[in-house]
Amino acid sequence: MHTRVFRPVLAASLVAWLWPSLLSGQAAKWPSSSPPRPLAAREVKFPPYEAKTLPNGMTVAVVVHNEQPAVSLRMILRAGVAQDPAGKFGVASMVATLLDQGTTTRTAQQVADTIDSAGGDLETGVGRDLSYANVTIMKDGLGLGMNLLADVVRRPAFAQEELDRQRQQVVAALRVSYQDPVYVASVVFDRLVYGFHPYGFPGNGTPASVEKLTRDDLVEFHRRYYAPNNCILAVVGDLTIDEAMAAVTGAFGDWARQEIPVDPAVEPPKPTQRVVVVDKPDAVQTEIRMGQIGIPRKDDDYMAVDLAIRILGGEGANRLHRVLRTERGLTYGVSADAETLKRSGEFEAQTNTRSEATGEVLRLMVDEFSRLRRDGVNDGELADAKAYLTGNFPLTIETPNDIATQILNVLFYDLPIKELQTFRQRVNAVSVDDIARVAVRYVQPDRLSIVLVGNSAAFLDQLKRVGFKRVEVVRLSDLDLTTVDFKRKDLADGRTIARQP
Amino acid sequence: MRAFRATLRGVLAVSCLLALFVPASAAVRPPKMNAEVATLPNGLTIVLLEDHSTPIVHAQIWYHVGSKDERPGRTGFAHLFEHLMFQGSKNVQPDAHSSMISGVGGRVNAYTTDDVTVFWETVPAQYLPLILWLEADRMASLRIDTHTFERERQVVKEERRMRVDNQPYGSLPEVIYDQAFTVHPYKHTTIGSMADLDAASVEDVRDFYRTFYVPGNATIALVGDFDPKQAMALMTRYLGAVPGSERTISRDHPKEPEQKQERRVSLTRNWPLPVVVVAYHVTFDGHPDSYPLRIASKVLSDGQSSRIYRALVYDRGLALTAFGGGNILEHPNLFFAVAIVQPGRSPEEAEKALIAELDRLRNQPVTEHDLQRVKNQFARDYIIGRESNQQKAMQLAHAIVIHQGDLSTADGEFDIFMNTTAADVQRVARTYFTPQNRTVLTILPGQAQQ
Repeated sequence: MHTRVFRPVLAASLVAWLWPSLLSGQAAKWPSSSPPRPLAAREVKFPPYEAKTLPNGMTVAVVVHNEQPAVSLRMILRAGVAQDPAGKFGVASMVATLLDQGTTTRTAQQVADTIDSAGGDLETGVGRDLSYANVTIMKDGLGLGMNLLADVVRRPAFAQEELDRQRQQVVAALRVSYQDPVYVASVVFDRLVYGFHPYGFPGNGTPASVEKLTRDDLVEFHRRYYAPNNCILAVVGDLTIDEAMAAVTGAFGDWARQEIPVDPAVEPPKPTQRVVVVDKPDAVQTEIRMGQIGIPRKDDDYMAVDLAIRILGGEGANRLHRVLRTERGLTYGVSADAETLKRSGEFEAQTNTRSEATGEVLRLMVDEFSRLRRDGVNDGELADAKAYLTGNFPLTIETPNDIATQILNVLFYDLPIKELQTFRQRVNAVSVDDIARVAVRYVQPDRLSIVLVGNSAAFLDQLKRVGFKRVEVVRLSDLDLTTVDFKRKDLADGRTIARQP
Repeated sequence: MRAFRATLRGVLAVSCLLALFVPASAAVRPPKMNAEVATLPNGLTIVLLEDHSTPIVHAQIWYHVGSKDERPGRTGFAHLFEHLMFQGSKNVQPDAHSSMISGVGGRVNAYTTDDVTVFWETVPAQYLPLILWLEADRMASLRIDTHTFERERQVVKEERRMRVDNQPYGSLPEVIYDQAFTVHPYKHTTIGSMADLDAASVEDVRDFYRTFYVPGNATIALVGDFDPKQAMALMTRYLGAVPGSERTISRDHPKEPEQKQERRVSLTRNWPLPVVVVAYHVTFDGHPDSYPLRIASKVLSDGQSSRIYRALVYDRGLALTAFGGGNILEHPNLFFAVAIVQPGRSPEEAEKALIAELDRLRNQPVTEHDLQRVKNQFARDYIIGRESNQQKAMQLAHAIVIHQGDLSTADGEFDIFMNTTAADVQRVARTYFTPQNRTVLTILPGQAQQ
C-alpha cells in the first residue's frame, strides 16, 4: 500500500528535468524531498451496533454514538420506484412526498410545526428499490421524534387537497427539470439501458402520469408495501440500546405484520448499441451518459466489477479523468460508476463538455470501455484502486450517519452481516485476472447505450467523423420517456411506435 | 381488521402526546470544542482539535483571499488559482497531490468563496505527515508551466458552463449581485466571466501567489486522531519551513455606497419559469446586527412551518420554490428572498407576498413560538454541524479568519443566538428591510437580454 505514495514522486523527479517552470515559488531554496513515511497505523474496527427483529418482523439496528447530543432515525421501506404500478409512474414518489403532508391525527401544518419547533428535521423520499423517512432530533426529543416518524409512516392521510397541492408542485418542478440537461440525460439513459423494465422509468413520473395519479393509487401503494416486516429502522446517536428499543417498541410494536406482494420477475433487456441525441439548441455544453446493463448488488462478481469500473472512472485511478481532464482539459469532471441494485444494475460513465468537443470526448470514452475489455487492468492500477478502497474505509464510518448507512446497506441487500468486518479482505482478494474476466463478461463496447443532450447542430457532423453513423435525434420539446423512440406519439412521425403499457 | 385497531390506538396515543407538547427551550447544548491555537514564526496560524473517535485526521488550510480580492478585469481568478494549486510544486508533479491522497484512501478537494480559498484533506490518521508535507510544498514552491495553465483555464471554463451557463437558473446569483452592487467586488461572483478567464496571464498567477499564498495569510485547522505534541512538531517541520513574506496585503476594497432609493429591474433569461428576487443590503459577519439577521433568516425560511414557505408555497401556491435569508459575509452583503413563480401565477403577486413577509418582520415582533422554534433549530444546526472533523475544522477556521482571530466565537456565538430577543429581530428588520435599501428583480422567460 505504501508503494503507492512513492511511485509518482519518482516519476516526478524525472519529469522535473524536462519541465520548463514559468512560475518558480517564493522559496528559491526550497529543498528537494520525498513524501514522508506514515506514522504507525491505527487499528480500524467497525463500531459496535445491535440488530434485532421485532415480533412483527420489523428490523431494528441501534448504534450508540455519544459525541453530539442528537439522535437520528432512518427508516427504509423495501419498495420504491420499481414498484410503481404499470403506467402509473410517480406513485411511490408521491406517496413518500405526502407522508409528511398530514396524518390521520395531524394536519400537514401540524406535522411541520411539530418537527420544526422541536429543532428537528424530517425528510422523506424514494429510490429505485426503496422509500425512506428520516428524522433527526435532539436527544431529549427522542420520544417525540419516534412517534412523529411512526405517525407519518403508518398513518398518512393522503388528503385530496394535499395531493392536488403536491401534484401542482411536482408538475411545475418537472417543467424546470425538462430544461435541465443533467436531469434529461439521466432519465433518458435509464430508459435506454433498462428499456421498459421497472428501473427504466423516471422516479418522479412524467407530467402526464402525475396528472393522472389518484388518491386511491397512493392508498393502495401504501397498503401493499408499508408494513413492519417490509422495513428497516436504524436508530443512531446519543442514547442507550434500551432507550432506543423502548422507543421503537412503543411507536411500532403494535404495527401489524402483513403479506408483502412479490414483484413479477422482469428481465432487463440485453445490451444493444443505441445513440440518442436530445436536441437543446440553446445548450453550450453537451451532457453525456454512456453505459450498459450491469449486475445486482448480491452478485458474486460485485467486488471485481466495482473495482473494474472504479479504475475506468472512480477514485484512486480513473482512466477517464486522466484522458479527458488531466491530458486534454475537455471537461470539469468525468466519472464512471457501477450502480448495483436489488434486481439488476448498470455501468454508467458521465461527463459534460463544450459542444465543439462532443465527438472527440465520445470517441475517447468509448475507447476506454474498449480498452478495459481488451486489456483489463495492470497491477499498479488495481493496487491503487484497492489502496483507495481499503484506506478509505475508516473515513466511511466517521459520523453516526455514516455508520448507519453501512449497516442499512448490509441489511437492505440481505448481505451477510459479517461483511462489515471483512471489507478489507474482500477487496484485497480481487486479482487482475478477476478484473479481466468480468471485463470480458460484462463490458461490451459495441453495445453501449449513449445519450447526448445538447445543441445537436453543433456536433452531429462530429459524431459521424468519429464513427457513430446511426444516431437518433429527438427534439427536447418532443421528448416522451414512455415511448420506444422517445418521441411523443401524437407527433406526425410515421416511425413512432405506440406507447407501451 | 387488526391493522385498523392498531391505527385507532395509535391515534389516541398521538393525540395525548400532542396535547402535552409545547415547544421546549433548547435544553440540549452543543458540547464545546476545546481547540488550541498557535502561531508559527513565519506567521502561519494553527488550530488543533483532538478527536479520537475514528482513526482519521482532517486538515483544512484557509488562505484569506477570495473573489472579492480580484482586481478589475480578472474576475474568476481566485478560483482559477485554486485549481492551479493542484498542478505541481517542486517535489510534487501535476495532479500528484490528489493521486497521493486518494492512493492512501483519503479525500481531497478545495473551494473558493468571495472571502477565502480553502484546501482540505481527510486521510487515515497515520498519513498526517503526508498532508502537511504536501501543503507545505505547494505553499513554498508552486510551479506552473504554460501548458498546464492553459489546460486548467479550459477546465474552469467547462466548470462555468456546467454550473452557470448550461443550467436553468444557473446564473441567478450572478444577476442578483450584478444588479444589487455598484462598486464593491461582491458585484461579481466567484466563477468570474469567460472574458476575464481568457485574459488571465502567468504574470497574474505569479503576483497572486506571492501576495496571498504566504504563511501569514494562512490558517490551518487540524481535527482528528493525533497526538498534539507530535502534530505541532510536524507542523513546525513542514509548514514552519515555508519562508514568511515581507509583502503587506492590501485590504483596501472599494466601499459600497449606501443605497438611497429602491432599484427595480426587469430582465429576460431563457429559463422555464419567472423568478422574483427581493434583496436588501445588510451588515457583515460578526456585527451585532448579524445575529438577529440570521434569526430572521430562519423565521422566514427554515422548515415547512417557516413563513415564506408557508405563505408562498403552501397557502397560496404562488411559488414552485421560495426561500430567503442573509448571506452574511466578511463585508456587508445581501439579505435576499427568491421565488420561482408557479405557472399561472404572476410575478407581481409573488413579489408582493415576499415583501409582505419582510415587512411583517418590521411591523410586528416575532412571536415567542417562532423565536423558540428558530432557537431550537439553531441548536440543531450547531450540533448536527459538528459531527464530522471537517465540519469542526470549518467552524474553527472560520472563527480565526473571518472573526479576526477570535477562536472563542466558534462556540461563543451559540449564546448570542440563544439570547437574541424578538425586539432585536424587529430592530434589525427596521434598520435594513426598508424600501430605499431594496432591489427588486423580475426575470421573465425569454431570450437573454439586459
